[in-house]
Amino acid sequence: MGSLESGSLRAVSGDASSGGPMAADASGSGFFATRADWLVNWGRKNSLWPMPLGLSCCGIELMAMIGPKFDLARFGAEAARFTPRQCDLLIVAGTLTWKMATAARTIYDQMPDPKWVIAMGVCSSSGGMYDSYAVVQGIDSIMPVDVYVPGCPPRPDAVIDAILKLQKKIEREAPVAKLLGLGAAERDERGTGKLVYQPNHGLSKGVLDKHPHDPKGKLGLRDPAPRKTENGKP
Amino acid sequence: MSTTESSTTGAAEATPAPRWAAALEGIEHRRVASADGLDTLEVAREHLHQLLAALKERAGFAMCTLVTAVDHYPATPRFALTHQLLSLEHSERIRVRCWLRDDDAHAPTCSDLWPGANWSERECFDMFGIRFDGHPDLRRLLMPQGYDHHPLRKEFPHAGIEPDRLYRQWDRQRRVGWSEEGAAQ
Repeated sequence: MGSLESGSLRAVSGDASSGGPMAADASGSGFFATRADWLVNWGRKNSLWPMPLGLSCCGIELMAMIGPKFDLARFGAEAARFTPRQCDLLIVAGTLTWKMATAARTIYDQMPDPKWVIAMGVCSSSGGMYDSYAVVQGIDSIMPVDVYVPGCPPRPDAVIDAILKLQKKIEREAPVAKLLGLGAAERDERGTGKLVYQPNHGLSKGVLDKHPHDPKGKLGLRDPAPRKTENGKP
Repeated sequence: MSTTESSTTGAAEATPAPRWAAALEGIEHRRVASADGLDTLEVAREHLHQLLAALKERAGFAMCTLVTAVDHYPATPRFALTHQLLSLEHSERIRVRCWLRDDDAHAPTCSDLWPGANWSERECFDMFGIRFDGHPDLRRLLMPQGYDHHPLRKEFPHAGIEPDRLYRQWDRQRRVGWSEEGAAQ
């Protein structure tokens, strides 16, 4: 994160050290929107509801993280719910196979916006040691990812660090400014995974632009745009 | 292939007749040497079910621990269908091997003898493409239904053949279903 950007980010996140609430608004969103954004983000980041998708040994570390020793409740994200409708943080913990990929994507689609994704462990981040016909080579092939956690499996501390990083990321979002159309939407960094495979590839653009939950476009939802890879190939 | 146990050849000749030899009287099979020292019988496909039934009913091999195959590509015949049986009563194991050709890869099921062999045979079908005649429910066990290839065959590449095809197909259909164009169709 460059120093040039950090000034505007501080203004959005309401950090008192950068001049307090009356600081010049570099983002152009205005006083009300930035204050309201700060408040909404404060609420969102401190009450994440994780959906644990434990697929292999990472799931054990995930349980340890939520348990009393590492105590994820300190960061307000301990209330794991096993229904995606009540969650806003999908933690994919373990090896995702192509056979399971339909279920994982369904879970992602069933979670209400706003939602974030943590790829826990090397298997879900990149396929890991399973360079195989059966394993998805990184869950960013099928869904956008916010934070990748390396490790096999990662220690609970590493996943807590990922959640803290995600909280910092949530601080930089501008939900109210986006809602009011104040030109702050570009700060929305949600799901910056590389998304190698385009999830809707082979479809016409008119169909692609439609979000599954919002086919008429009234809510302004849309799928994350496909990212370019370095060599242009999956 | 047509010798009975009284005229066995090779390494097995020096050893005394095993406990289960009498149970296999009249069934064509051949006793062969194996690298791990496990008693191994080779049998033609026509007599496979008869032999397995005799081993279960008359020799006490009450448990079928494994049904799998080995791909010896490019040799002919190509597949060595292997059953490994266990007798808890006598604390003995035995291996039954049946050679199958690539263009004729099917064998009688043994899931009527050991119900537990049902899924083993499904896995064997999934991984090698060997069909089991008379199997009650011969679907793939591990790979998704509708997948076209058999991953443990030697010609199957390491990285797989279109591993994401079925997912993409599902993804596309579901999106078309949610769009207005799809709803109109």
